[in-house]
Amino acid sequence: SEFHLIALVFYQANTLRPYLNTVRHTLDASLCLRNFPSQTVERHNKPEVEVQSSKELLLNPVMICRNEQEKCLIESSINSVRVSIAIKQADEIESILCHKFTSFLMQRSEQFIVMRRKPAKGYDLSFLVTHMHLERMWKHKLIDFLIEFMEDIDKEISGMKIAINARARIIASEYVKQFCP
Amino acid sequence: MSTKLADGVTCHAWSPDRKRIAVCENSERVYIYKNADKPSVTDWVKEHELVGHDLVVSAIDWSPVHNKIVTCSHDRNAFVWTFTDNEWKPSLSILRINRAALDVKWSPDGTKFAVASGAKVVPVCHYESHNDWWISKMIKKHKSTVTSVAWHPNSQLLATGSTDFRCRVFSAFIKDIDRPTNSILGDTGRFSFGDQIVDFDASNGWVEGVAWSPSGNQLAFVGHDSSISFVDFEGGSSVCKSLKSKELPNQKVMFLSDTVVVA
Repeated sequence: SEFHLIALVFYQANTLRPYLNTVRHTLDASLCLRNFPSQTVERHNKPEVEVQSSKELLLNPVMICRNEQEKCLIESSINSVRVSIAIKQADEIESILCHKFTSFLMQRSEQFIVMRRKPAKGYDLSFLVTHMHLERMWKHKLIDFLIEFMEDIDKEISGMKIAINARARIIASEYVKQFCP
Repeated sequence: MSTKLADGVTCHAWSPDRKRIAVCENSERVYIYKNADKPSVTDWVKEHELVGHDLVVSAIDWSPVHNKIVTCSHDRNAFVWTFTDNEWKPSLSILRINRAALDVKWSPDGTKFAVASGAKVVPVCHYESHNDWWISKMIKKHKSTVTSVAWHPNSQLLATGSTDFRCRVFSAFIKDIDRPTNSILGDTGRFSFGDQIVDFDASNGWVEGVAWSPSGNQLAFVGHDSSISFVDFEGGSSVCKSLKSKELPNQKVMFLSDTVVVA
């Protein structure tokens, strides 16, 4: 297959757009899926990237890294693709927020249709896209969704952190007012 | 401006007079529409419904020789439908595969059909009038699911494409049915059924579609690595050339004439 392990390292400043563009192009190529009945169990149709029963039906996984922490793993097969993302967690607060936020989302993964209930090992969130999803949804729209999701999740977590800090400051100043008139 | 026939179409086949079309709309049923020569889908009229399969129908082929339709499905079966008394009646075909069928094609002379299956074999079926059914002989030697089959114009050579990255040409010569002829690959009587004549691993990806040129001198196959490969059999040896494209991979390939290919 044409995919090899890639690690792309950019300078921090302007890395978001190239990172997301690379992910978009890789997804565009990976999401060429077809309805493929299982060749190991009769009358079954399973996502080959999850069962991994036949090596020839899997493509080489591609890892796209923005920096040491933020990366995206795209594992592809003949009828399904698993996309796993590792989210930026700069300090402990972000780490706790990320953990709580992703577990909130994953508990409601049916609403997101393509989200996986458990992330892949070493990552914070995973998506599983099968040919059945592509039969019902437009491929370019699905890719737009995944890219926007990756962008927005960082913004959400930063937003929550700022809100926490602001709230903590307000609470602390109210509390101290009791002691200093 | 354009209206949809259905949300998804798995496969289709035109009738010999091109006035009717058999379509599977991603389900176990096959619908035959008449007036299909009209350009707008709203003019098509649903005429017949072929019910018989349990799982989605993966391929349909309509033979111009005897007007029979063959359908194959993920439920490991294939049916041959004959139009009698204004109805399409199915007749049994014993494929003997234990996995799904992915592609089916009539031979150009209409005496046999070949099925590509996930059981890594290709059953080639011919009619046995004694029991009124179609029985199969197996072509083995594939290492993975066979995705597509294509008959040489002489109805005795079969090309297959598979997810083991190879395109192969086999002899589908059945002794009681075929008469040996001289083909571009030699006298077909020389090979026994199921003999692999040549194989090509020019593709780095799964071979999704194969096709012979109308003269039978060239073979084309497309792979998941966005390549399209052409094999020229003239002069006794097979020469294979591949072209890679930057676009997304092609799934099917077809010859319009000896020099024009559509993918």
